Amino acid sequence: MNNISPKVQNQIGMLQQIQQQLQTILQQKAQYEMAIREANRAKEEISDSPEDAVMYLSVGTVMMQKKKEVIDAKLNEKVETLELRVKSLEKQEKMLQGKFEQLQGQIKAAIEGKGGPSAA
Amino acid sequence: MDQRELMTLQQYLQEYGQQAEIFVQQLQLLENGRMEALAAIESLEDMLTAGEGTVLLQIGGGASVRARVEEPEKVLLAIGADVVVERSNKDAVEFLKERVMEMEASAKKVAETIDRLRGQMNEINKRIESGYQQAMASGEMQE
Repeated sequence: MNNISPKVQNQIGMLQQIQQQLQTILQQKAQYEMAIREANRAKEEISDSPEDAVMYLSVGTVMMQKKKEVIDAKLNEKVETLELRVKSLEKQEKMLQGKFEQLQGQIKAAIEGKGGPSAA
Repeated sequence: MDQRELMTLQQYLQEYGQQAEIFVQQLQLLENGRMEALAAIESLEDMLTAGEGTVLLQIGGGASVRARVEEPEKVLLAIGADVVVERSNKDAVEFLKERVMEMEASAKKVAETIDRLRGQMNEINKRIESGYQQAMASGEMQE
């Protein structure tokens, strides 16, 4: 690390930060995707129940009785919201991936002595 | 095999070890879930035959109170996503049995992955060991 210029050291630090951010985004995405699967499964499960089936929805610390159609609508809403979040995370992931590759190229070029890279 | 290669192999070994650890934890979670579901099935089936019998309701801290199950044939079942549905005892048992089967299938897959990882770790270990032996024999490495 001693014969690497401070500029490149700084870029390596940024690269590590981007890598951590990417990891956090991927973890969040996986959590949301799991929640979508769970909600869809719950939807399937209640679709088999009769219209007047007794159902409850957890609201904070209490469970409130709701009609099947209300719960179905809530689940649809939940899936839609989560899908939007996943899309937004995918955008961030793509953007960070681009930054990562750019920075990686700059560092590689600097180390190989192919010219001075500009900071990302 | 040079020292750099040995270090890379050791790094791989460490990473595989960490991955295996995560899968072992997953396997434990699945096993806990399976045991919990089986206990629930047993309770539901017993409750049905016992009728409106009194049960001991554990309230934590080792304390229990006597409770009467008013409708043992009706069960409130959490189906995920914060939704709880009322099911007949029989349907609830069926649902739980399906869950047990799914968890068993997942556990089998996870166990296979752990086996595969362990196989790869053994392979890397062998290569590291032979690398060390080679290095020692050729006098490249100093303790």
